[in-house]
Amino acid sequence: MSLLSVFRWLADSQLSTAIANSHYAFAVIEMVHLMGLTLLGGAVIVTDLTALGLISLKQEIGEIQRDLSPVAAVGLAMLLISGFFMLADGPLRYYGNAAFRLKMLLLVVAALFYFSVHRRALSVAPGARPRGKIRLAALTSLTLWFGVALAGRAIGVL
Amino acid sequence: MAGGVPLLLEWCNRISATSLSTVIRESDWWFNIIETVHVIFTTLMVGTILVVDLRLLGIVLCREPASRVVQAVVPWTWAGLAIMGTSGLLLFISEAAQAYDNVAFRIKLVLLLAAGVNALLFHTTIYRAVGEWDTRLPTPGRARTAGALSVALWTAVIVCGRTIAYFH
Repeated sequence: MSLLSVFRWLADSQLSTAIANSHYAFAVIEMVHLMGLTLLGGAVIVTDLTALGLISLKQEIGEIQRDLSPVAAVGLAMLLISGFFMLADGPLRYYGNAAFRLKMLLLVVAALFYFSVHRRALSVAPGARPRGKIRLAALTSLTLWFGVALAGRAIGVL
Repeated sequence: MAGGVPLLLEWCNRISATSLSTVIRESDWWFNIIETVHVIFTTLMVGTILVVDLRLLGIVLCREPASRVVQAVVPWTWAGLAIMGTSGLLLFISEAAQAYDNVAFRIKLVLLLAAGVNALLFHTTIYRAVGEWDTRLPTPGRARTAGALSVALWTAVIVCGRTIAYFH
């Protein structure tokens, strides 16, 4: 089954018809998307600015990361669920959209990076702290998420 | 005022007639670029506010003193506010005449004011005595109320902000 046929199946589904025919559905879904964005954004920004030494907290960066990780996860879950419903509004419109494709690619890379490589880089033992590695991980995370947001903003413009 | 154009509407019409307003409104790119900046710095501003609110509610960063979180994070909130406010003002200038009649825009301004008053009240009352509850859990009821109100008000600001475009 090709990707296009999955998108066609979604376009023919009752869910897609219901969202496309509703006056308010897309607006409400988009608002959930924006709230998820602020939650994920807040958690990522505070974690990474702390890792970069631009926010000064008492705890080790690994503890900050662990503490804010559930907030990032809730935000991401809201973004993914609302994002799926936004896609269902017009799957074939998004299928050929270059910004949408770039965003999905960046999203997968950013999410995998944030919850694996980034997490490990930040949870170093106190004392023995490879600052360079932590900073690089934080900068990469900020850049990737920023890229996801920019590509997402471009979907509506293209 | 009888029969005349309301003063505020007249100002909005004059703003819409300026060349700055016309340039942004008639350019394919300027409006999109400014709106993108607005959304990204809203994320910085409201995102950092939410982290502070969650600390006031006793949900995250509870091993940090509350005052430490406020002092460390709030400068970034101000930075976000400066750029969010500037880009927001430019967006308003580009469509001042339409914004005047836009119900969502009016509600958003009231909500922004309410969010500001809530933050001001927090800082001038319960936060003055933060030394007494800096590391205490649960946080005092008034700090939790301020945090919960802040989450609700900023959520409503974002909802109204997005709605502005649907009223055009």
